[in-house]
Amino acid sequence: MADKPRVAIFDFTGCEGCELNQLNFEDQLLDILAHVDIVEWREAMDGHADEYDIAFVEGSLSTPDCIQRIHEVRRKAKVLVALGACAVQGGVNAVKNTHPIDEVREEVYGQDKYLFPTLPALPLSSVVKVDYNVRGCPMTQIEFLKVFTSLVMGKEPVEPEHSVCVECKLKENECVFERGMICLGPVIRAGCDAQCPSVGQYCTGCRGLVPEPNLEGMEEILVSHGLSVDEAWKRLELYNANEVEGVRS
Amino acid sequence: MVQLFLESDRVAELVAHLMKQKSVFAPHAKGRKSFAFEEVKDPSAAVLDYPRVMHSIRKFFFPPQETLMTFDLKENTCSVAETPAADAIFFGVHSYDLGAVHRLDYNFSEGNPEKNYIARRQGAVFVGVSYKPDEFHFSGSVGIDPYDTAGFDIFLTKLLDGYIVEALTPVGEGLLDGIELPAHEAGKPARGHFQQHIYLPQAKLGQVMDGSYQNEVWDDTAKKCVGCGTCNLVCPTCYCFTVEDEVNVQVTGGSRDRRWDGCMLRDFSAVAGGEVFRETLAERQRHRVFRKFKYISDETGQPWCVGCGRCTACCTAGISIVNIINRLVGDYEKVAVTPI
Repeated sequence: MADKPRVAIFDFTGCEGCELNQLNFEDQLLDILAHVDIVEWREAMDGHADEYDIAFVEGSLSTPDCIQRIHEVRRKAKVLVALGACAVQGGVNAVKNTHPIDEVREEVYGQDKYLFPTLPALPLSSVVKVDYNVRGCPMTQIEFLKVFTSLVMGKEPVEPEHSVCVECKLKENECVFERGMICLGPVIRAGCDAQCPSVGQYCTGCRGLVPEPNLEGMEEILVSHGLSVDEAWKRLELYNANEVEGVRS
Repeated sequence: MVQLFLESDRVAELVAHLMKQKSVFAPHAKGRKSFAFEEVKDPSAAVLDYPRVMHSIRKFFFPPQETLMTFDLKENTCSVAETPAADAIFFGVHSYDLGAVHRLDYNFSEGNPEKNYIARRQGAVFVGVSYKPDEFHFSGSVGIDPYDTAGFDIFLTKLLDGYIVEALTPVGEGLLDGIELPAHEAGKPARGHFQQHIYLPQAKLGQVMDGSYQNEVWDDTAKKCVGCGTCNLVCPTCYCFTVEDEVNVQVTGGSRDRRWDGCMLRDFSAVAGGEVFRETLAERQRHRVFRKFKYISDETGQPWCVGCGRCTACCTAGISIVNIINRLVGDYEKVAVTPI
């Protein structure tokens, strides 16, 4: 094989759970390393690289410094992959965007708030061009492997556009609503193999909304299953505040 | 036809008797209040009194996910996956679900025959059971009675204290050999009544649907629909699928897999280059209903919906195909009686 692609992994505003999830590839890590050289990864190794081909980026952008750094990464990377809910859609961090920014700063930093400039939590794609997404909170391992394999082969990774319901139906799971719980699966992107509903949980929406979601329709579903209008939108906002904001009337 | 009688507490005995002859698949309780067809391990776990199973028996002939072939990228070879015949007894099937299998037989054998389906379908034996229609069934409106024995090898008709057992084919008769059942004597069972009806006589089906392309019902339904695709995936006569290649992380080989797909899903109608043929949920909803009541029906003269009620029962948004059809019929009648 020709020179292996150089991979760098970066973190912005997030819990680093997605990166940890990469280290959890115990069975596949050696196979992954057979195809690429990892040249920078703060969480797992020392060193700093000035050149790389593929950048995996975790976290949302929430400070002026983040904006500067992501431009730098984009300039150097041939391919940029957003890793996890924070990077792809803003994630849980974006809940802060539903409150006035001054209030949020005061709540977190108190009197020192002027020392910590902050921005609304943004997905990478609102600042730079993102080539591919690996969704989920933490990022979905099976999807990471698919995107990774596609990149190694020079293929375009396919991003699922259908709902989590499809994956539940393929597995013949009893519908979460039948179990008396509330589920966001009908408007959330598949790709996780309906991980949570398959183990007795419900979908909280970490993989982001399907394209062109009918959120008013989803509100009606949630309300007809017992939530108040406000609760319904709060559930939808948990991982998807950036997309939900503006739709809510 | 000889009518035998099976007491309710002897159902497990009959299942055990059948298990001696072939593998038996039957409805089992699953989850909090659902049922699923599974292979019987314990004869007493088979359930005969159930409203509907989550997936019809189509899943055994056309699995939700299957590997079509595996390939080796180093050797540049591939090997086609085997599709063994079902060769099993499907016990406790409702008439609409067998009606759906008959429709799939048509879909998968007309034109380009689908060899995986046809291979899996071989050796399937069907034991039917009557049911009491619930608030979603409307099979009566599409010509399938709860007591319809068409295509079954054995049929069980529910009575208060047991079942009338009828062998309808030589295969069915053979299966009942060796189990002692008394003759059934007292009368016929009470008929169950459907609570749901579509008011669409088969003779008018074509005319009503022809005038329904531009109807407000599609836009109205699209306001509630979130496009999750559940109605497609639970439908026993839906047969669309998609095919994807998966490569292993060593990049040495992989598999070509297919899974169920559905016309309510945006990525179903998206093609290379990003064009989406049915952009809106209204267009997709119309397409779904036309697949059940127009396109194939124009060819075959019968509705491709079997009235199982799954799409309505499973829709979290509460969209009812019965209400959609009845609105189309109502609008057609209004137009039809208006003098020009």
